Amino acid sequence: MNNRSKNCIAMLLAGGQGSRLKVLTEENAKPAVPFGGKYRIIDFPLANCVKSDIDTVGILTQYQPFELNSYIGNGQPWGLNRNFGGAFILPPYQRSKKTEWYKGTANAIYQNINFVDRYNPSHVLIISGDHIYKMNYKNMLRYHIEHGADCTIAVLNVSLQEASRFGIMNADADGKIYEFEEKPKKPKSTNASMGVYIFKWDVLRKYLIEDEADDTSSNDFGKNIIPKMLAGGKKLYAYPFDGYWMDVGTIESLWEANMDLLDPNSTFKLNDPKFKIYARNYSVSASRISKAAQVENSLITEGCDIEGHISDSIISTGCTVEKGAYVHKSFIMPGAVIGKNAHIEYAIIGERSIIGPGAKIGSEQDESGKLSISVVGNDRNIERNTVIQAGDVV
Amino acid sequence: MKMFGIIFSNIYDAEMGELTRVRTVASLPFGGRYRQVDFVLSNMVNSDITSVGIITKYNYKSLMDHFGDASDWDLNRKNGGLFIIPPFSSGQTTVYRGKLEALHSALRFLESTDDEYALMCDSTIICNIDYKAVLKSHIASGADITVVANKDSEDTDTSQELVLSTTKDGKVTDLAIDTIPTPDQVMGMGMYIMERTKLIKIIEQSISHGLAHFERDFMQKQFIAGSLKINAYIFDGTVLRNKSISSYFDNNLSLLDRKISGDIFKTERPIYTKVRDEVPSYYAETSTINDCIVADGCVIRGTVENSVIFRGVYIEPGAEVRNCILMQGTRVKKGAKLTNVIADKNVLITDNTTLAGAPTAPYIVTKGLTV
Repeated sequence: MNNRSKNCIAMLLAGGQGSRLKVLTEENAKPAVPFGGKYRIIDFPLANCVKSDIDTVGILTQYQPFELNSYIGNGQPWGLNRNFGGAFILPPYQRSKKTEWYKGTANAIYQNINFVDRYNPSHVLIISGDHIYKMNYKNMLRYHIEHGADCTIAVLNVSLQEASRFGIMNADADGKIYEFEEKPKKPKSTNASMGVYIFKWDVLRKYLIEDEADDTSSNDFGKNIIPKMLAGGKKLYAYPFDGYWMDVGTIESLWEANMDLLDPNSTFKLNDPKFKIYARNYSVSASRISKAAQVENSLITEGCDIEGHISDSIISTGCTVEKGAYVHKSFIMPGAVIGKNAHIEYAIIGERSIIGPGAKIGSEQDESGKLSISVVGNDRNIERNTVIQAGDVV
Repeated sequence: MKMFGIIFSNIYDAEMGELTRVRTVASLPFGGRYRQVDFVLSNMVNSDITSVGIITKYNYKSLMDHFGDASDWDLNRKNGGLFIIPPFSSGQTTVYRGKLEALHSALRFLESTDDEYALMCDSTIICNIDYKAVLKSHIASGADITVVANKDSEDTDTSQELVLSTTKDGKVTDLAIDTIPTPDQVMGMGMYIMERTKLIKIIEQSISHGLAHFERDFMQKQFIAGSLKINAYIFDGTVLRNKSISSYFDNNLSLLDRKISGDIFKTERPIYTKVRDEVPSYYAETSTINDCIVADGCVIRGTVENSVIFRGVYIEPGAEVRNCILMQGTRVKKGAKLTNVIADKNVLITDNTTLAGAPTAPYIVTKGLTV
């Protein structure tokens, strides 16, 4: 009926709950968490795929899929409504022999071998849904093909201290990986895995099936598949990436990545007409900035009504900041209302939450250098004059 | 009872001067992120109308660019959808002069649908109206045609407007054109509902009798002859009529009034427009901003007061913008001072340029110009 094939398709691991984001992922998978005023985290890897001419993206998810599902829809906002290909949400499903949740990252792909086979791709790109970065995977794919690699892993050059938090790829001068160390205490190199892999599909397919048969395996790319391929003498290459990349899996990193958007020296440029980030649109009117408002070094999205004082902050779609309110060094998620004379510093305010007049949330950071960001979850109603201390999560 | 929509995109082009030199009035930018036609089209979509024809005459490339596949209005449909109807001219007829002739070019569209009622609208009126209620009123009245009207005591520019006297239940008892309404009269909003089959008959008869204008040649004549029963649906929400450059200028700035914008932008009946994937707007430490409407994708480093700032506008430090409408992609360079200016798309205002218009006659900088 149809024998078409694709050179490369993407499988996006939208994964688990992301419990380190605490209340922000109560009813929402991590990739659907808002970012940067009008985006969700998943918009970044999706935009990367679109920029890289990858038009088929399987999104693997098993936690609170509703929000993500309705957000992705038919993929139209990203131009991923394709006749052959497109965006697909792939939750675990019931099978005739056995039914199970995704046990690990590799198992999630294993359970969707049929999906990948339908596109008969030469290569499969594996990415995750919780990283903020702009990357043209085309360059990586070219590198992968030129080196005749079975697997290419994108790596970031991190500092030696940071290296022990990552999977480290030890490679020789031409990039061939000879050793992989997961979170090494004494790192031998600083090539940290970004969780971006390109595999030859026939090779990966074979390893996924073998790994599934291994009862001792935890079916994880980093822990199982990569070491097995190295042991099996496969050609693994490290592809160096030198742009901005941020894992936004924690409250602090989510806050920091948002603040980076306001840093004129940051290497991450949101506003690049040649590399746009797409998002689902909410049909709100342009923002109104009234006479009483004062706005400094901040981003304000459409649909807002601003009368307060805002500095070094991100105000998302459809927020209200009333008279006398003060918002500093904070990330306000879509639809939140900041009441009169409320005082918000170093905080993340969840979607649609209402902060009562005179409430005080968060405070200036102490000198220890350790961030303590206050967080108000989604749909909260914070009573008038409530005080929420630095680092508290409600 | 199913209704389809017809939108006239060019009828009032002449009133907007320079602003419609390269576009239809329908595609004239309004309110920071919209085109005028978005309002009437969104009203139709929010009233469950799924089939809309837009009648064009010339300069309609901007409209086609704007609509794309119409998915931003949810009108990319198998059954119905959005149709751009280019002008039809055969040997005898030229490109249309009035709405009746315009409708003639839409006959094929009218015949291809089987929705029973036709809603015909101008594209220059900004409001948020539920056409389902208008249809209900039309059916209940038993009239041949229903016209949407409102009380607009402040409007003195009545050119081409219908002025109606009605009974309490909406029956029209007098119909005049181009006159100042008395306090108990209402003014037409260029929105009409008729039965489709009746409309087709009227178009055919009118064309064969050389009639061009819907209001003057058909409605008024038939009404005076006593052969047309007209129902008026009185709309009591906010209505902004963009029929001249000065009203267009005032209406844009009137969106700063919370009552007016709240009446036009309703979360339960949103106004849709083309998605442009702009980033949120950035306000620098050097910015001062008072009473402005600002869309996405802007960078504000200077001073802006009482203005409407469209998508992707860049205002450099030291620039001062007061009482202005700056359309998409305007760049105002250092030290420039603008007062009562309408800058069309992609205008560049160079360093230290001063431009000033009057509130009643704003200074217009045409599309793409460098000043």
